[in-house]
Amino acid sequence: MKSGDAPTAALPAPIPLGRRYPWLEGLSRFGGGMLFLWPSILLFGGFVFYPLFKSVYLGFFVSDPFGRGQEFVGFDQYREVLTSPDFRKSLLVTFLFALYTVPTGMVLGLVLALLANQRLRGALFFRTVFSSTIAASVAVAAVMWLMLLNPSAGFVNWILGQFDLPRVNWLTDPQWRTIWDSGPALMAVSLTTIWLNIGFTTLVLLAALQNIPQELYESARVDGASPWSLLRHITLPMLSPSLLFVVVVSTIIAFQSFGQIHILTRGGPLDATNVIVYSIYTDAFINFEYGAAAVRAVALFLLMLTITLIQLRFLERRVFYR
Amino acid sequence: MALVTFDNVSKFFGEVVAVKDFSLEIYDREFIVLVGPSGCGKSTALRIVAGLESPSKGNILIKDQVVNDVEPKRRDIAMVFQNYALYPHMSVYDNIAFGLRMRGLHRREIDRLVKEAAQNLGLGDLLRRKPGELSGGQRQRVALGRAIVRRPVVYLMDEPLSNLDAKLRVQTRAELVKMHRLLQTTFIYVTHDQVEAMTMGDRIAILDQGVLQQVGPPQEVYDRPGNIFVAGFIGSPAMNMFPARLQTRDGDAFADSEAGSFRLNSQQAHGATDAADGEIVVGVRPEHLYVGGGEGSGAVSATLGAMVDLVEYLGNEAHVTFSLSDTTLVARLDARVKMKLGETVPLTVLVENLHLFDRTSGQRLA
Repeated sequence: MKSGDAPTAALPAPIPLGRRYPWLEGLSRFGGGMLFLWPSILLFGGFVFYPLFKSVYLGFFVSDPFGRGQEFVGFDQYREVLTSPDFRKSLLVTFLFALYTVPTGMVLGLVLALLANQRLRGALFFRTVFSSTIAASVAVAAVMWLMLLNPSAGFVNWILGQFDLPRVNWLTDPQWRTIWDSGPALMAVSLTTIWLNIGFTTLVLLAALQNIPQELYESARVDGASPWSLLRHITLPMLSPSLLFVVVVSTIIAFQSFGQIHILTRGGPLDATNVIVYSIYTDAFINFEYGAAAVRAVALFLLMLTITLIQLRFLERRVFYR
Repeated sequence: MALVTFDNVSKFFGEVVAVKDFSLEIYDREFIVLVGPSGCGKSTALRIVAGLESPSKGNILIKDQVVNDVEPKRRDIAMVFQNYALYPHMSVYDNIAFGLRMRGLHRREIDRLVKEAAQNLGLGDLLRRKPGELSGGQRQRVALGRAIVRRPVVYLMDEPLSNLDAKLRVQTRAELVKMHRLLQTTFIYVTHDQVEAMTMGDRIAILDQGVLQQVGPPQEVYDRPGNIFVAGFIGSPAMNMFPARLQTRDGDAFADSEAGSFRLNSQQAHGATDAADGEIVVGVRPEHLYVGGGEGSGAVSATLGAMVDLVEYLGNEAHVTFSLSDTTLVARLDARVKMKLGETVPLTVLVENLHLFDRTSGQRLA
């Protein structure tokens, strides 16, 4: 042993706290983690998890008009509400509403984004216009369309008049049947929703378009690609993550739409626009049947969860992430 | 026969002049290198051949046909981009096959050509990978594969080696030259690297600020640079250049400078008379400077007293910076010659190795 070496054997090495009391170390790590998490836990707990579990719970009770659980009925209420004809009708309306709004909104958004992405003079103006509806509130959009769709003074019917077509009572006609046995009201509400969401869709897709390297297009042009091939083989694959995002988010938005329906049609005429969300509102706040509303809410939650999972499962395979 | 012709081509981007009055004939099966500092217009010139830009003025001809308004895909060209521009969502196979598919070849034919190209480039095992899973060198080879599989009449390459590390760059440089010999087609190659230009090109075209400065075989350009820009751009370390004045004494022509006085030979004296007012620039390459007196060499030489300022040993050679009053000269010397900093040594140059330029126009005099 050289004289300079420390006498290591003389002093016992200090045992780390964690080795003496492993549970203490685990606890302090847990506590540290919770310190960071508590704001989120508080918010999500109060406004998401508690209402979620409360809804499931409420579904087991037939409640009094003040929302207090009155009589325990178990799954009877679930069975009764979910098999009722009006739930089936609202389910159908909800699906049709999503079917009208999501694909149309996405195709239109893509077209507008492609147009706005052209390197032309004034493109910035159109980019702003195309994405401007993102700044409009649901109420403003709905009132605006209420005026446009007004049977006697509205712009839409004025246009129809110019072509000698009959006027349509867009929001109130219960007789006229358009596609899949739905009336013009559902189309009118869908139109408003598409208009409302087009800004968001356009903005997301435009941002994604601008991230595609220009050289890919140049390379493909030298390789012999036509404009259609460029769209098919370069643009769409490179946009696929954003397209998936837009599909999932617009579907969720469609299933959650309320404001425009409330302002334009209040679920009518004859339940033609009574989507699940609106029927929850009617049950809970018009009929004061909180239990039945809770059942519908739980059903909607499970429906959206399933659809989102299916979309991710089947569409993500076709998505290319850089 | 010229395969690609630039006929007085200019390209403006708004106020900016990218290429100006550019005329050049590129011959069949030639390897020509467009070289110049960044922003000199070399890439724009290449993109004009590709059809990705159209000339603002003048004509671009391929096989004697004016192709100004012909789409890229109808020009029978292939291009390798600086960042390779591989399609990130496609496998290596699909990347190479893309151009063939766009041309509507039969699936079996495409498969044969892709596999053949991949084999030649050593990409056989990587065909199912995506570009994101490849190294820089492998991506570069995919970009080459995508070009060669199409067998075009002209290959356009825009700084294809600049994203590779130094060792791989040297190796790929040689491979490209071999590939050119094998394919027997025309390569138009753009680079800012004068070493690439010197080593690869049959001819090199030097551009500066959108203007063609000189075209010729690398050695000729090196030995007889046409103007001050080319003299300074080609060669590393760069050519030493310093101002001088033409004087006649006792019937002999001299170039007098702060570094010293050089008696010109008759050919140089004759050429130098073109200088408008006797104001010239004298250039001398670093390898043409010797330490020691000029006696015994037989040739006309000048010996200057120079102080050693800086010595950079590179193993096989040393770059030594000398100062003579206000002039700085760099010499490329044998690494075994040891120099002391601050020491003054005699520095000799053979007069026949001097380059003379007009100071106003920058053009070569002799």
